[in-house]
Amino acid sequence: MIFANGMIYDASEQKRILKALEHNINETILHRPLDTETVIAAFDELSQRLRRGEVSFVTPKMQVERKDELLQTAVRMLRRSSMEYKVKMELGQNFFSPKLTGPPLGFDRLEIRPRPLGVLMHIAAGNMDVLPAYSIAEGLLTGNINILKLPHADNGLTLEICSLLVAIEPRLKDYIYIFDTPSSDLETLKKLASLSDGIAVWGGEEAVAAVRQFAPSGCRIIEWGHKRGFAYISGYENKEAELTALAEHIMITKQLLCSSCQVIYLDTPHMDDLSDFSKLFLKHLEQAAEKYPINDVGAVAAMTLRRYADMLECTLEPPVNAGGKVFQSQHCSITTAADKTLELSYMYGNCIVKCLPEREMLHYLRRSKGYLQTAGLICTPTRRARLTELLIRCGVNRVMRADNMSESFLGEAHDGEYALRRYTRIVNVAL
Amino acid sequence: MNERKELFRVEDPFDTQSTNDQFLAAVRENCAYQYTNCKQYRTMLEKLQFTPDMLKRYSDLKNLPFLPTVLFKNHRMYSCPEWKMPMKVTSSGTKGKFSRIGMDAGSLLCGLRMVIKIAKWRGLLSPKLTNYIILGYEPTRDNDMAVMKTAFGSTFLAPALHRTYALKYRNGTYQPDLEGVIAAVQRYCESDFPVRFMGFPSYTYFMLKKMDEDGIHVQLPEDSKIMLGGGWKQFYKENVDKQTLYHLVKKVLGVSEENIIEFFGAAEHPILYCDCPEHHFHVPAYSRVIIRNVHTLEPVPNGTPGLVNLITPMVNATPILSVMTDDLGVLHDGGQCKCGIASPYLEIIGRVGLRDIKTCAAGAADYLNGTGETV
Repeated sequence: MIFANGMIYDASEQKRILKALEHNINETILHRPLDTETVIAAFDELSQRLRRGEVSFVTPKMQVERKDELLQTAVRMLRRSSMEYKVKMELGQNFFSPKLTGPPLGFDRLEIRPRPLGVLMHIAAGNMDVLPAYSIAEGLLTGNINILKLPHADNGLTLEICSLLVAIEPRLKDYIYIFDTPSSDLETLKKLASLSDGIAVWGGEEAVAAVRQFAPSGCRIIEWGHKRGFAYISGYENKEAELTALAEHIMITKQLLCSSCQVIYLDTPHMDDLSDFSKLFLKHLEQAAEKYPINDVGAVAAMTLRRYADMLECTLEPPVNAGGKVFQSQHCSITTAADKTLELSYMYGNCIVKCLPEREMLHYLRRSKGYLQTAGLICTPTRRARLTELLIRCGVNRVMRADNMSESFLGEAHDGEYALRRYTRIVNVAL
Repeated sequence: MNERKELFRVEDPFDTQSTNDQFLAAVRENCAYQYTNCKQYRTMLEKLQFTPDMLKRYSDLKNLPFLPTVLFKNHRMYSCPEWKMPMKVTSSGTKGKFSRIGMDAGSLLCGLRMVIKIAKWRGLLSPKLTNYIILGYEPTRDNDMAVMKTAFGSTFLAPALHRTYALKYRNGTYQPDLEGVIAAVQRYCESDFPVRFMGFPSYTYFMLKKMDEDGIHVQLPEDSKIMLGGGWKQFYKENVDKQTLYHLVKKVLGVSEENIIEFFGAAEHPILYCDCPEHHFHVPAYSRVIIRNVHTLEPVPNGTPGLVNLITPMVNATPILSVMTDDLGVLHDGGQCKCGIASPYLEIIGRVGLRDIKTCAAGAADYLNGTGETV
């Protein structure tokens, strides 16, 4: 399947479309520039139609949990006011208007003309259903022509949204190309990359490494890599509520998101404290598991089996940091470990608890700096400011609370950066 | 190893009721043997605080530690010197890793008894000369794959006149030769000797579909049989629909459903699971199945899906007496089957893990698909 010029084509026409693509793109760049206002108006109209129930992008193929919530969020996020706020937050007021520099000491003045990067290729891994469409939306807001390589596990949502958008605003048809080319078709990916000024890649290390292989030199690679979240506990404001919120966060996200809690660190040097905490928290986790049951039997089984096999492996080849304990209940488990590494848990309600005294935090978390993203900070009010600052110095980019680790905020940065900035370039013109 | 010998001598190969005590005794004997002779096995049992003498009652079988098949891929575990193993088999292997299971002479003898008894029950033993079509690998000296050995072994159930292989070994690699196989089928049809097909259900389906599309429809000689076998994964629900396959067999080869026989086994559990006339895989007397909860690994009642734990005291050379496969399965009450066998039957419904998992937690996708490093 290919989406080009607002139409859906069969994959058999790929060769023809690819052949014409360079010319089409060049024509668009030359004659049909896109301004942010056109894009915002189109999204706003889409939001209104969604709200009125005239259109729905929830396709039959989608297995969405909490469908209404997803729609409500989309309606709010696509509204004009939200979009304008996002653009203003990330790019500042009137970003694309030309300005003049005014340097001191008699240096020459220069004109600044911020512009789209040009052509933006999106390699979207199947992280989340809305992700490919979201990535395209960011590309459009910055005036870029977008070429999307669909993730393997796509469920038709992206195509649905893009078709609706083009129907609302036909001018967008020259700005969205979608290919469901498999990752193994290197030749096509190379061709698409050769036409691009930047490649936004969402995915794990493997996906990023693959992009580096086929990206032309000089092409801007914008990595949105996979990360690991954790919780840090140093006292409580409201123990019961905070532990319940953390447990529910773990079960709702199944620990599959960048922002999901994998490891719970306790601000203590004593292993005994881990056992006490685990016994208590297991009850919260089990209650959350009953409230938000996980139905992916195959994945749960894979993780249970892996956990069991790893435990046996440890007896054959004992690791350096032995001394952990497992606390098991009907639908979830907690493992205590003697080391302090921010590691991936067995997910699906199987979390890890470790000691991490405040004074050792920087030393250990810095070792995971490439993976750091969200910390759920649970602490006494008096420690919050100090611990927040310490987490930031460790390299954490989102310091959240127990109940909002995986929430999206309008105007928030992504992994420490504003995406829209990276999808633009600053042009200087001599006066 | 007298208890094992006794078990494999039982009259009825599907008697899983009156053989419980004998089965337990043989497992206990095997467990004690592994405990004494395999250091790795002993270490793991010690960690799990289990000793062979804890197998006192039949109900204690559920407490016998089970080893995930992945352990046999990562470690070579043997309980006797390698020179005492007349044969070793390997699993088909995924991502370059495969289990290597040593077989002692006693276990091969038990296996032979088992195969003869089950083949006889299913009407597969015949003195008539037979032509074989093997939709699988041609045997070579260097290939230890269990599927290949099973396929080759099955050509002795009736004396072989000729064998044709779909995957021929040429210049160091296996090459498919579908055309050659179809030509052989047509040739065999002109003789009076029965023909037996042996192969993966998916290969068989693929070949019959090609014959059907090419308009080649034949009538195999009387007493011909279609044997479908292979690894467990061949039997996942989403694979070839059984009724479609049976229909195609009748249409293309003129063989009706009662002459289609399916079986499966695994290198880590080398028990012959052969289907009944209703195409259900009843648990034979030499094996027991415990389906376990996907969270807690505790046994679940019949009818509930879970992880498949397989137990057999057949092999001494490798501690495979209780293994846990990567499969998800359901055990059904034997009484539910019209064939009259009281032993419960096993249905394999899929494999653990998810292929299209949506995650952005670093390393999680590899982890779930089984390619990641262990923690």
